[in-house]
This record gives sequence, structure tokens and C-alpha cells, in this order.
Amino acid sequence: MKNQKNIAKEIRRKAIKKNWRLFRRSKLGMIGLYIVIFFLFLTILQPILFITGVWNKGVYDPVVGYSEQFQEFLVVECPKEYPTEKYDERSDCPGRTEVNIKTLFYSDAQVGETIIQNLQPAPPSRQHILGTDSLGRDVFSQIMEGSQVAFVLGLLSATLGVGISTILGTIAAFFGGRIDAYLMRQSDLVLMLPTLPLLFIISAFAELKIWHLAVVLGIIGGLGGSVITIKSQALQVKVKPFVDSARITGGSRMNILFSHVLPNVAPLALLFMVFSVTGAIASESVLSFLGLLNIDMSWGLMIYLAQVEGFIFSGMKFWWLILPAGLSVTFLTGGFYLVGRGLDEVFNPRLRDR
Amino acid sequence: MFKYIFKRVYQLIIVFFLFLITSYVLFDSIPGNAFQNLLLNPDLPPEAYEQVIKLYGLDKPLSERVFLYIQNFLQGDFGYSYKHYPKTPIELISQRLPRTLMLFAMVNIIAFYTGFLIGKVLAWRRGSKSETWITVTSVFSYTIFYPWFALMMLWFFGYKLDWLPIGKFLYPEKWYDAPFDSDVVFISMIQFTAIVSIIQILVYIYTRNIESLSMRRNARFGSFIIITLASLFYWNTGELLIQKPYAMDIAYHMILPIFTVTVVAFAGTALLTRTTMMEVMKDDFILTARAKGLSQKRIRDRHAARNALLPVVTSFIFTIVTIIDGSVLTETIFSWPGMGQLILQSVLEEDIPVAMASFSFIGVFALVAHFIADISYAYLDPRIRIQSQG
Repeated sequence: MKNQKNIAKEIRRKAIKKNWRLFRRSKLGMIGLYIVIFFLFLTILQPILFITGVWNKGVYDPVVGYSEQFQEFLVVECPKEYPTEKYDERSDCPGRTEVNIKTLFYSDAQVGETIIQNLQPAPPSRQHILGTDSLGRDVFSQIMEGSQVAFVLGLLSATLGVGISTILGTIAAFFGGRIDAYLMRQSDLVLMLPTLPLLFIISAFAELKIWHLAVVLGIIGGLGGSVITIKSQALQVKVKPFVDSARITGGSRMNILFSHVLPNVAPLALLFMVFSVTGAIASESVLSFLGLLNIDMSWGLMIYLAQVEGFIFSGMKFWWLILPAGLSVTFLTGGFYLVGRGLDEVFNPRLRDR
Repeated sequence: MFKYIFKRVYQLIIVFFLFLITSYVLFDSIPGNAFQNLLLNPDLPPEAYEQVIKLYGLDKPLSERVFLYIQNFLQGDFGYSYKHYPKTPIELISQRLPRTLMLFAMVNIIAFYTGFLIGKVLAWRRGSKSETWITVTSVFSYTIFYPWFALMMLWFFGYKLDWLPIGKFLYPEKWYDAPFDSDVVFISMIQFTAIVSIIQILVYIYTRNIESLSMRRNARFGSFIIITLASLFYWNTGELLIQKPYAMDIAYHMILPIFTVTVVAFAGTALLTRTTMMEVMKDDFILTARAKGLSQKRIRDRHAARNALLPVVTSFIFTIVTIIDGSVLTETIFSWPGMGQLILQSVLEEDIPVAMASFSFIGVFALVAHFIADISYAYLDPRIRIQSQG
């Protein structure tokens, strides 16, 4: 008995090794994996920096931190007509180290003098790698917090959703009949509801925090279209000879379901999970971008703040408020998508070699 | 087979009523109602609010209202909009729907065509360096954070370069002395686009069987020039000559949304085509075609791409179903007054008749598409066919 277990373990280890070798061969999958690992590193780095005391919590906290950025400013008077020698457009005055005398209410400095003033949002410096936002909070720390949110939400909702849809899909394929009809119509019902308006409605009557949103997204994803796809895969497994032979040798229905059909559906389910992480992160960002979530900090919220405060249409003058958050969402979802592609090439025998 | 279809239709009707009930309960569970801001008006006595609530029947219990709604729904009565009072939901939808359909039909046609072409080339060059980079780029344009990207495009083309308008459907100042409604102009634009695309498809189908590749290309190019000249003539005659500047204004506002959504949407098709092409290319008939000594281009276009087209067409049909759902975000960012904005506003303002009407419209659309897909699956797949009989 013990020997048998060891053999099973050995077989499993060999299979993992072989699949890893196949996965490593796909360049795209590896690029995706590196991106995901990079963001995972950012996720873990922030608590470490806080615990070891490299970062002071009062300064670097992503939500309530504050950092003073004193800088010398030259007091100037902006001309009435453009272009002049110094400025091409109205948006160029005052420049980055200048302050317009018309907006200087609390000081009696004259034109040409220099004053020291607190500047927010501050551009990137050695202290703040990606600068600060308009409330003096460190953008890099916010990015790290956002990646924590993205990982928690994406992985939780994907696991939940894929768990539900795998179990329901296999049951539908295996038992058929009324159960199948009921489950299929249920997923039709979920697919009929438009996703984004549905999330608007839910956010109106429920206070959505990360955990709640993960559960909601998981359930919507798990009851929807993925049940149908997993069912069709399970139907293909069900008619394979080894299921028949298991039935002939007297395996109970539950035994066949759990030890023969489910493991053969699992690769597809894993693939679904990776792709639904992408979907979950994107929906979270869209909802926080529209200001409908009750979350302290996330990438979508950073873009929302940049848009509400009017920095997005100021162009690249405040690039550190616009680019990092948007690129983070894009790259993390893209990374998960590429990992999914790589797994697809491992599990789909028709794609493996030319 | 007929028994299966009958059973499916019967289930379909039950699902649809469940859908109606679910959506009504969902809308009702939003706190407050559409008339609550009447309470904020100090000039109105509280009785006025009570009166309005009673007038619209919102004081009745939920179960009774759901029952009434379904009863009226079966009689084809969708009620009146709460916010745009004298208008019915049907009027609102018939005004908004063409705008959304026009925008997204164009986006999808362009995106699927370019995506198919790019995916074809990608699969053919599997393993080369350019393939990896193009794939990575299209993956990122597929997963790019869409609202952010749309805002950046608005900033770049609308503000920085000042080439294109920032959102909206038209410039109101151009329409002050317009002799007709914007909808009239828009409908003639839709007619024109539909005619041109039908002719284009007919030309494509007709020239498909020309054997020589260069002759086929010449024939298609010639027909394209003829269509362009004909459409110039079409817009310069009769009443359309007056409509032309206004139509140009609307078309000018359509460029940026179409371009932005296309950039995001084409990548999905390209990646799908790449995968299916790679599966097809391992089949034996490709090897046979190679052995026959056919040119590479011919094998790619005639043998591999033709067979990879089926899943792409399927996904095209399913994309059409999700057009209205997907339009919510685009229309909010580009302030395009279409179905997406109508749904969003009616949900946020709790305009239940409009929201229910548009939800049920989407629902019918989705149900019919899934039904057709299911039936054709059952017809094509013997496993499901046998199961449905037994």
C-alpha cells in the first residue's frame, strides 16, 4: 500500500516536471510568468519595508501617509497673451519651479523673488521613486497596495468561480437529464444579465469591499458561461473508454465522478482560472474607476482620482499620476493572460508541436 | 429533434420570465426610488410626493407590482419612463439603439477583419521573433485597461493634437438652423452604410472564385473605386446634398470612438485566429496541399485560413450579443448618447420601466442567440443529439 502511494507520487512528480518543461518552451508563457512574479514581488515587498522600518508608516502609508516636499519657487507674473518668448501656451505658465503671483494669496513676495513652498503632487525624487499624489501620498506605495488588492481579489474570485463552475459543469455532464437542464438554464439566466449594469445595481444596495466584490464576481463568473464550456469538456471525458471500464469494474458513481472525470477536467479549469483572474482584476479597476467601490486604495481608484482631480487632461506634465497605475493594470492582466496562453499550449495536445 | 426544440423553447420561456422577475426584484432592491428628490424641494408639500408615488403605483407591495409588470409586458405595454415622462421606453430605445448599433457594428466589422488578417500571418510565422513581439503587443492591446486607454486617446487626439472632437454626438452650434432632426440624418447614414456594405460583401462573394490571385485583387480594387465614386454621386444629389454637412459632422464625431474600440477589440480576434490556425495547420490536408506543390500563400489563404474561420465567426456572433452590454463604458467615456448610456442612467436614476425594457431587450437578444447556438450544436454534435433523444 505504501509502495503504491510512493509510485503515485513519483508519477505525479514526473508529470509536473514534464509539464514544466513544456511550459518553459513557450516564450510567451515565460514572459507572462516573469510579469506575474514581478508584481508578486511588489506585493510582498511593501509589508517587509514597513516591518523592517525602512519605510516610516506615517510617510509612506498608501492611504494616510503624508510627506512634505519643500521646494524653491520663483515668483513670476503670467502674461495675458501667448505665445511669448518664454512660454508657448497658457498651460506652460507657471513652469515647474515657478509660481504665479496671482495665485499667491498668503505671501507678500514680489515678482522675481524666490519663496519656499510645499509642492504636491511632487515629481519623482530619491525619497519617492514615483513621486507623490496631490494629497502627499507616495505613489509607489500605492502601486504596491494596489497589487495586493489585485492579487487577493483576482485569485480569490477566480478560485471561487472556477470551483463552482467545475463542480456544476461536471455534475451537469455526468448526471444529465433534469439536473443538466436546470443548470444550463441557470447559466443562461446569469448570462442574460448584462454584467456592468448588474454590478452597478449590486454596488447601489450593498457596500462593496474587496472580499464582497471577490465573492460577487466569483459567483457571477462561476454560474455563467464557464459552466457550459466545462460541461462540454466533461461530456467528452465521459465517453472515453476508461470511464466505461471503471463503471464495468464496479466503481460507484461518486467514485467515477471524483477520481476519473474531475481530474480530466481539471486542466481546462485551471486554464479558466488564469483567464478569469484577468477578468476580475479588470472589473475591479473599472468599478473603482467609476467610483462605485468602498476600497481604500487600488489601481482603478488611483486613475479615478487622477481623472477627478483633472490631471489626466494635463497631459504628461503629471505622468507619475497617470502612467504607473494604468500600466500596472494592463501589465498584470496581460501577464496572467500570457501565462494562460502558455498553459494552453501545455494542456492542448493539438497545439504542442507543429 | 423536434421534441428537443420544443423542450428548449418551453424552457426558454420559463427562463425569460425568471429573468424578468429577477431584474425587477434587483431594481426594486436599490434603496430609494426615482421620485425621492421631490422630497428635497421645500416648495412641495409631502403629500405631493405621496400622490406621485400612488400615481405610479410604487406604494403597492413588490409581488403585486411584479405580477402587474409581467401582465402588462405580455400585452406589449411597457409603461412610461419616470424621468422622461411623456416618452415610452420603446420610443427611447428606438431613438438610442441605432446609434449604438451603428458604432459597434462598424467597430466589430473592422476589428474582426483586421484581426483575422493579422492572426493568419501570426500563425504562419510561428516561432519567429516578429511573431513573438506582435503577439505580445496584441495581448497588451487586448488586456489594456480600457477606460484609461480611452481617456489617453481623448487627451492625445482631442486635446493635445486637437484633431478630433472630445466626445459627444455632434456640435450643437452647427445644428441651430438645421432643417431636420439629427435622427433623420443618422438614419440616412445608416441606410447608406448598409447598402455599401451589402454591395461590398456581394463583390467579395462574387470574386471569391476567381482563380488567379492578381486578377482577383484587380477586380476587388476596381469595384472599390466604383463604389467610392458611386457613393460620392449618391451624397451629392437631391435631399442628401443638404444633409451632407450634418452627416459629415456626425461622422467626424464617430472617428475617435471607432478607432479606440477597434484597437482594443481587434487583438482578441487575432489571438483566436492564431490559435485555431495553429490547430488546423497540423491537419493532414495541409501536408497534402504542400505535397501537391501549391504556393505557401495559397495554402495559407485557401486551406488553413478557410478552416480556421468557423470559430472566429462563432465568436463574432457572440460578440454581437454583448454589444449593448459592452457599450456602457465606451459611451460613458465618449459621451455617446446610445443604449449603454440609457441603461446606465436608468439604473442610476431607478427609472424602472426604461431599465426593465432595455434589460428585457438584451435578454431576448441573448436568449435567441444562445438558442440558435444550442440547436446548431445539437445538430452538429451526435453526442448531444443522442442524449436529447434518450
